[in-house]
Order: sequence, then C-alpha cells, then structure tokens
Amino acid sequence: MKIWGARGSVPSPGPETVRYGGNTSCVQVTLSDGTLLALDAGTGIRSMGLALAEKERRINILLTHLHMDHIQGLMFFAPAFDPTSEIVIWGPEAPDASLRDRIARYISAPLSPVEVRELPCHVSFNEAPHTEWEIGPATIRAASVTHRGPTLGYRITEGDASLCYIPDHEPSLGADLAVDGDEWISGVELARGATVLMHDGQYTSDEYSQRVGWGHSRLSDALLFARRVEAQRLVVFHHDPLHSDDFLDVFHGSAVERWSDLGGAATELEFATERRELLVDRAPPSGRSS
Amino acid sequence: MSAGQRPVELILARSLLATLSTPSFLVDEEGIVVFFNDAASVLLGVRYEEIGRMGPEQWGTAFGPLDRSGQPVPLEELPLTIALRRGHPSHARLRIRSVQGVESEIEAAAVPILTVQRTHGAMVFFWQVDER
Repeated sequence: MKIWGARGSVPSPGPETVRYGGNTSCVQVTLSDGTLLALDAGTGIRSMGLALAEKERRINILLTHLHMDHIQGLMFFAPAFDPTSEIVIWGPEAPDASLRDRIARYISAPLSPVEVRELPCHVSFNEAPHTEWEIGPATIRAASVTHRGPTLGYRITEGDASLCYIPDHEPSLGADLAVDGDEWISGVELARGATVLMHDGQYTSDEYSQRVGWGHSRLSDALLFARRVEAQRLVVFHHDPLHSDDFLDVFHGSAVERWSDLGGAATELEFATERRELLVDRAPPSGRSS
Repeated sequence: MSAGQRPVELILARSLLATLSTPSFLVDEEGIVVFFNDAASVLLGVRYEEIGRMGPEQWGTAFGPLDRSGQPVPLEELPLTIALRRGHPSHARLRIRSVQGVESEIEAAAVPILTVQRTHGAMVFFWQVDER
C-alpha cells in the first residue's frame, strides 16, 4: 500500500507540513495480482493518478464517506479523464439519494466545470454491500462506524493479511473504551486482529475536549482502540490541518510512550506520512520510503 | 454484523439515552432490552446493570406492562412491538410494575431505529402520568 494523503479535514500545504504531507485522505492498495484499490479520494488521489502506469486503468475506489476531504480529488484523478479507464466507486448508502447522485452534487455546476455523465472514463457507482464481496484476490468488508453522516470503515483481506482502514472514527462517543464491552464499541468487529490498522488519531486530548461529537478520535483513544482489537500494527491517520511536522514529531513521541504503557512495541506504531509505502504481510510489515 | 458488536445505530442510541433524564430503554431488532437509563431505573426499581438484557417474556413478567384493569397487555399491542414490526412510532398508556411491586401509570412512545436496509431496534420513552 502507498499513502498519497494522510491529512484530515482540509488540504494543508506549506513549509510546515512537507514531511507528513498536506494532501487529504487517499491510500493506494495494490493486491497480489496487480488489482488496484484507492481508499478514499481526497486530494492525494491526484498524485496517485499521475503516478499510475498506462496499463493501470481499472481501479476500484472505496469511499468511506462523502465529506470533501475524502472526495475532493475525484475531479483531478487523471484516469477519470481517460476513455480507456474503468473506475468502480464504492461508498456508503444513504436514505435520501443514490451514491452516484450524492457524488454528483460535487461533480456538477457550480462546483465543477464537468458533470458526472461527461466523465470520459467508464465509471460505475455501487453502494457497499452489507456482506463481504470480492475484488480481485481480496475479500472486502465494509461496516458503518461512528462519524458524522453515513460512514464506513473497510477491511481488505488477502490470504492471511488484512488492512483495516477507518480514517474518520470516534469510537469513544458515548462509550468508554476501557470499560464497555465489545458490543458497544464501534469498529471493533471490523478491526479485530488486523495486520495493519489505519485509524483516525486527529486530536490531542485537549483538542478533543472541545470537539466531542465531531466524529474524530483523540490519539489516546486510537491507541486504546488498536490495542483492544489487537491490531498487529497501527498507522495513525487523518492528521489535523493545524498540526505541523514539528508538532506531529512530538505527538508521535508521546504516542510511543502511551503505546508502550499499553503493552505495544514502538515498531508497531507509526504516524502516516505521505508517499510512505508499506507491505501488508502477516509477518511484521516492512516499510520503505519513496 | 457478526456476533459481538452492535450496529452503530444502537451504539449511538444507547449513548443518547444514557445522557437523558427522560426514562427510556433500548431494544434490539428481536425485542430484547439491551439498555435502560437511570431515569427508567427509578420507575422500574432496578438498574440495568443489576439485571442485564431481557427478552420480551422476561421483562413482561418483571414489569408488566398491564392495562388499566391490571391485565397483561399482549405483546403484539405494545408500542415497542409495533415500532419493531411495522417500522413506525407508536404510543400507548400503560401500567408498569417495579421489581418491588409498585405500579405506575405511564405514557410510552416507541420509535423504531431504521436504516436504509432494515430495522435495528427501537427506543422507548416513557413518563409517569397523574392518575387522577
């Protein structure tokens, strides 16, 4: 997998965010047979589209929800403007309109110069099923999680390796992660035992106290959640736009301490960084920067 | 959703009810009481944590509900049953009995918890009424 955008809420370019990156949520997953997935279509998907080879023209995009920081890059995804591309977009269902119509609220005037029907690629829209489904050699599972509006987390399993992606999630809303049973904790079933868990860790505890109910996690809850579900590795994701590289370095240091207190090894925890690549394998994942 | 975790809609409903001073309880899609709040425990005479989840027969035996003549109200006529089975809100005046045997007349309103695909459960709000 490769992280093309790890920022939450709004793109945050600038000299203070060059290391962790300013693009919003997008993670490329390449399955063993070359099948391509994009987890969310924040502004990071623009770079992903530019980096894809000519032959890579069938792409499944799994949207967790339709907030702007998760779809804004769709209009700038190069394969969407290539008539040889086939793009399948998955996302949460909602009672008011189809996934296609809800995305068209963005890809339409006055927000966009083109309409969905004008996209040159072959594009289709699917509400994520409530049962598992297959894409290439992987099994995909989606589940609703606590966030503002219809929101999914995804679990992609191939062989005995699994990636669980829950970038926007507030599992402690109305629940005590240290006390309540599993039945009352959002996301537990989806994330249990994942090889890699990518999870919202946007806020400090002080910030969270002013933002309860906004749909995001304080770092301490992300750590507790990851330990609780016994994820093999945690990648803290959806960095707050106000958090600079220097701040995130310090924040990461505090996370390692807390993680250690919870019984985790420092090598099992990292903060998502743009362009970071990870091999998701049952063995301890290996990382390389590009 | 496989065994273990509740649907997120029930998780959020429980969170809401736990913060309210309106007596209320939460049932899952099978009509099993999976939570009631502290305000409800005042009328029921017991805290949820003391008795845990209960099926319809259990809470029917424990708390009634009864009609004005003191007879048990058939399950299918209860607001929560209507909310679960028909998917719309329902309201009724009932009598309930606390675990100490104290009867109270209440108004009860049940609201189904619906998502696009199905009914996940219901919330039932109730309050004691002046019997005069």
